[in-house]
Amino acid sequence: MSAATTPTLDVSGTARVPFGRLVTVELRKMTDTRAGRVLLSVTAGLLALLFGLVLLVVALTDSGRPSASDWINILSIPVSMLVPVLAITIVTQEWGQRTAVVTFALEPSRLRIVLAKLIAVIALGVLTVLFALLLGLVGTPLGASLAGESAEWNATAGDIGWTLLTQVLYLLMGFGFGLLLLNSPAAVAVYYVYVWILEGGVIAPGILYVLWIAFDWGQAVIPWFSMRIALLPFQLGGDDGDFSGLDVDLGIDTLAVARLLVAVLIWVGLPLVLGTMRVMRAELK
Amino acid sequence: MITVEGLTKTYGGYTAVDDVSFVAQPGRVTGFLGPNGAGKTTTMRIMVGLTPASRGQVRIGGHLYRDIPNPGRHVGVLLDASAQHSGRTGREILALGARTMGLPSSRVDEMLALVSLTDDEAKRRLKNYSLGMKQRLGIAHALLGDPSVLILDEPANGLDPAGIRWMRTLLKGYADRGGTVLLSSHLLHEVEMIADEMILIGRGRIVAQGDKKTLLSGDAASTLVTSLDNTALAAALSAAGHTATPAGEGLRVDTDTTTVGRAALSAGIVLTDLRSGSAGLEDLFLTLTADTQRDAAPFQGASA
Repeated sequence: MSAATTPTLDVSGTARVPFGRLVTVELRKMTDTRAGRVLLSVTAGLLALLFGLVLLVVALTDSGRPSASDWINILSIPVSMLVPVLAITIVTQEWGQRTAVVTFALEPSRLRIVLAKLIAVIALGVLTVLFALLLGLVGTPLGASLAGESAEWNATAGDIGWTLLTQVLYLLMGFGFGLLLLNSPAAVAVYYVYVWILEGGVIAPGILYVLWIAFDWGQAVIPWFSMRIALLPFQLGGDDGDFSGLDVDLGIDTLAVARLLVAVLIWVGLPLVLGTMRVMRAELK
Repeated sequence: MITVEGLTKTYGGYTAVDDVSFVAQPGRVTGFLGPNGAGKTTTMRIMVGLTPASRGQVRIGGHLYRDIPNPGRHVGVLLDASAQHSGRTGREILALGARTMGLPSSRVDEMLALVSLTDDEAKRRLKNYSLGMKQRLGIAHALLGDPSVLILDEPANGLDPAGIRWMRTLLKGYADRGGTVLLSSHLLHEVEMIADEMILIGRGRIVAQGDKKTLLSGDAASTLVTSLDNTALAAALSAAGHTATPAGEGLRVDTDTTTVGRAALSAGIVLTDLRSGSAGLEDLFLTLTADTQRDAAPFQGASA
């Protein structure tokens, strides 16, 4: 015997939760735990430390003034180190701490939640890069005056744009790993193994980087699936720079664009799509 | 109103919820009672769309949960009081909920006051909460959006007797104002204290439902009686056609208390104790779910 299912709950006066509100809630969730605050404070600390070190070196040695683009290169290192953990845990903490039960009860559309988190992660990338740029804005004239020279404002929109895109791509990669693995330690481990050991660059050259420089086949194959190497031509703006002595192809052409697209598809696109599918289907226990 | 129709959930060959149908009415507290693993939590997770049903559906006020806009404003859900970030403070957990639902932050203070969490406690991280405090916070979270339907899984778990009484008052008042409350428990006395209506579930199937009176109506009358002269009383009752067997210090008689009292009166025997010996809900519950219990219904004495 089933009672007639006449709607007794009048929902006509209630609007959906606005998407913008979901995004602000997700941004808040990244920063309202001790882990989130510690990661951001350590990042700020690293930025300040590096900022101070560069000025100290400029003041004590005759190495000359760091230009605006030098500052961007230097200051984008600390923001790329720890911030990705926030992009990973914004997803994985929902599973580890089982808060997904609450999140999805308040917004049954899981796709909207995933998208809100995605936008929040992009916003995080933009904000951290802006913060680094702000420091660069102060550092450029300060460093120049310490060196007794005039400031060199050589950072182009391209430099800034590629720095921003690099940061956002790596955050999205971490986010994708989070969606795919739904487990904080696993996703963080996979992320750092790829970024620091395979690709390298921040502290020591990575395995893929060494193979790329050392072997002809490495130069042919690796730019297709190493995001760091695929990004290099664009970050350098066609200028061989430090690589001038090496026989590597850093030209910006259709091949470089194709390589970048494939590398981004492999490391950002696939994890995002497969991970979102997993979250949509996952049963919450 | 919550309407569950033919709900079934299978995991491979295992049927966790088996053709469950019931209605939780507005203005009443409906208790969902069953042993651990009976399918209560699975049923509730399906209700709020966290688990897909294999067959059947649940409608809340006529809607599927996923079709309710800003569902927190209509349906209060507490599925697991521990399913909150252990590093967030109680206040922050409520603030996130209030923010999502589009409520003013003053609502957080109102809810904290309602569930008697002090300002000091609200500033503590969840990992420092006792289970009872987590339950109170969970209730506060479920009530944030002033919903008209409440779905609570084991809300009394971890509450002390005073806390259970507090929850009973809270939920009764809520139902009296027209709200629909569905709460689950594996402890009979909790549900008996709080619920108007009971749904007994065992191994995924509903084994009985109704209010306490209806559930007990099929129960044979039985009386426990002690008197100054049990032998004489037993003889008087046998003469009247009832069976009296010794039970502890007194007798168990297969009739109601009025009949036993009358028999004692006419025989001039002084009664020192007279009460209903009906098996009660506990026995009913154990009988109905006997084949679904993990431990075989124990015989007299301790099982090995």
